[in-house]
Amino acid sequence: MQKMAGSSFPEEVLEHVFSFIQDGKDRNVISLVCKSWYEIERWSRRRVFVGNCYAISPRMVIRRFPEVRSVELKGKPHFADFSLVPDGWGGYVGPWIAAMAAAYPWLEEIRLKRMVVTDEGLELISKSFKNFKVLVLSSCEGFSTVGLAAIAANCRNLRELDLRESEVEDLSGHWLSHFPDNYTSLVSLNISCLTSEVSFSALERLVGRCPNLRTLRLNRAVPLDRLANLLRRAPQLVEFGTGVYASELRPDVFSNLSGAFSGCKELKGLSGFWDAVPVYVPAVYPICSRLTSLNLSYATIQSPDLIKLVSQCQNLQRLWVLDYIEDTGLDALAASCKDLRELRVFPSDPYEAEPNVSLSEQGLVSVSAGCPKLQSVLYFCRQMSNAALRTIARNRPNMTRFRLCIIEPRTPDYVTLQPLDAGFGAIVEHCKDLQRLSLSGLLTDRVFEYIGTFAKKLEMLSVAFAGESDLGLHHVLSGCENLRKLEIRDCPFGDKALLANAAKLETMRSLWMSSCCVSFGACKLLGQKMPRLNVEVIDERGPPDSRPESCHVEKLYIYRTVAGPRFDMPPFVWTMDEDSELRLS
Amino acid sequence: MSSSKSNKIVKLESSDNKTFEVEEAVAVQSETLKNMVDDGCANDTIPLPNVNGKILEMVLGWCKKHVDETVTGDELNKYEADFLDLDQADLYGLLMAANFLNVKGLLDRVLQRVADMIKGKKPEEIRRIFNIKNDFTPEEEEEIRLENAWAFD
Repeated sequence: MQKMAGSSFPEEVLEHVFSFIQDGKDRNVISLVCKSWYEIERWSRRRVFVGNCYAISPRMVIRRFPEVRSVELKGKPHFADFSLVPDGWGGYVGPWIAAMAAAYPWLEEIRLKRMVVTDEGLELISKSFKNFKVLVLSSCEGFSTVGLAAIAANCRNLRELDLRESEVEDLSGHWLSHFPDNYTSLVSLNISCLTSEVSFSALERLVGRCPNLRTLRLNRAVPLDRLANLLRRAPQLVEFGTGVYASELRPDVFSNLSGAFSGCKELKGLSGFWDAVPVYVPAVYPICSRLTSLNLSYATIQSPDLIKLVSQCQNLQRLWVLDYIEDTGLDALAASCKDLRELRVFPSDPYEAEPNVSLSEQGLVSVSAGCPKLQSVLYFCRQMSNAALRTIARNRPNMTRFRLCIIEPRTPDYVTLQPLDAGFGAIVEHCKDLQRLSLSGLLTDRVFEYIGTFAKKLEMLSVAFAGESDLGLHHVLSGCENLRKLEIRDCPFGDKALLANAAKLETMRSLWMSSCCVSFGACKLLGQKMPRLNVEVIDERGPPDSRPESCHVEKLYIYRTVAGPRFDMPPFVWTMDEDSELRLS
Repeated sequence: MSSSKSNKIVKLESSDNKTFEVEEAVAVQSETLKNMVDDGCANDTIPLPNVNGKILEMVLGWCKKHVDETVTGDELNKYEADFLDLDQADLYGLLMAANFLNVKGLLDRVLQRVADMIKGKKPEEIRRIFNIKNDFTPEEEEEIRLENAWAFD
């Protein structure tokens, strides 16, 4: 049988074939087949994902991929969410926007996570890309409603504006009125993070004239009695986020709202519900059976009302809720929602030492038993036991994301007072496809031995207040073959494990260590030994060489990069490289 | 496609000198042939030096099936699914022919099929399937592999 002579595929045929292949991983493989495939692939790649904006420079991306339409960038490390990354650290998107404005006139999509965006940057986006369609700013900061006004005014083809959890300097709600009267292409709008009132009439007119609007997430400032009008103008909505969900009970308002919800036949996801009051919750009952996603993480309703609500959501796949749901509510969830894939339970009062709600490990055990498709868990609680973790692990070997947050650090098994090593050991042993894990509670080096032995598919690990010695870190770095991101705080891990596993760091995207026991001397050594890593010391006490070499650094962020050291560092960040000895002395 | 032309016959000759006669309605499923017909170049036998007889017969079979009004939707679906159950040599020939003749529905399906053969594979596997020589030096290959993994993953 004659073999296909692939290298004699005409270029245009290969281009056609590649147009059916959009996945980044497949595209990366294609680029390695041979030189002509590399060339054709790079000219035809339309979407680029850069998981660490400092791993490559904008110039290098543009040089390799000249015809990109969609860019996704991530900036600060994940622990920035817990205020562990000082302001001014970096993650500036400005240089990227400037470079792309010149090189990618046909750019359509920009998605950013944990980056610093300015109003000037937003204005440049709005003026540089004639066909701009999608702007997603996830946990970003540095801009104000002035920048949003520029986007609204100039992006004639905008489909998506999603500001999820970004910190926006909210000068006024007037920016929304900058969408021109003849602008009708909005598909998705998420302004839930904004604080000030947007003009309701502008919002209503905008919603009313955009027939393709599928997602609308309002901010807290939109009062409950405005919702019905909005919903009636957009009965085609698939996802809706309310504003503050509280008001005096008025029968006309209630029935109007309930009717409006019922009129949305495609509605599958609800969110918002700030300060929800029980009397208005039944307004959504008529559509509960259709819901696949419910975000109640701002809803202050208690367990009985939550039970009534979730018991009607038989098709629920994702639930985010406060611990007001309690164990009884989670029992009801387990009984009613057999299609549940993801559960997140957030703490209503994390700073209180004593529990304010009756939520324990039992609730999670219950859901793990009752929901066969449960794969993703984020659970805040105050007590846990090895027995419960073992049960959860045995119930749900299909778990892929498991983040347990026992609120008080170093809390032992509340029954046996032992460390929770065995419990987490059971999780990694049974859940063979586990990709993401967050540990908490009292943990020795033992748990890391289990993780290194069993967690072969683990990609991201978060550790806090755990372990006893360098052996813990060594187990993870030497055992977890697929580890990409490791973030550690307040653990007694130091120089030995880090230096012994230096090569491992080139196989990972990044390592974060804060309040650990890594010395400045070891950081310098690592920087010299591994020139392709950026070893960044973050220390707000002043230059690390003003203290003895054996002194521990405050924070350490290490990442692989093809772009060399960065030059936009603030005064409290130092890069350890081959020349660091010279520069710092 | 006006009915006044429906009796016209188009003659085609494959690279291995086989001749085929088909109704115009069948032939114009191919954009390339349609352009020739519209330009008045289809009166003599049209030579197709880059399509062999076996493949041309397959393609014309596809075109015939798609103008046959007696074929049901289900039958057509099954036909299309079975059609691409080919060995690699035929798939390659079909890809070249569908591309040259620009038979829209067929081309998309063959492209998808070839794309599916690429997805999820490693570079060496792809080279083996398509009989491609690796013309990178080890250093060049490593540099690309590194950039792919460190920046674009």
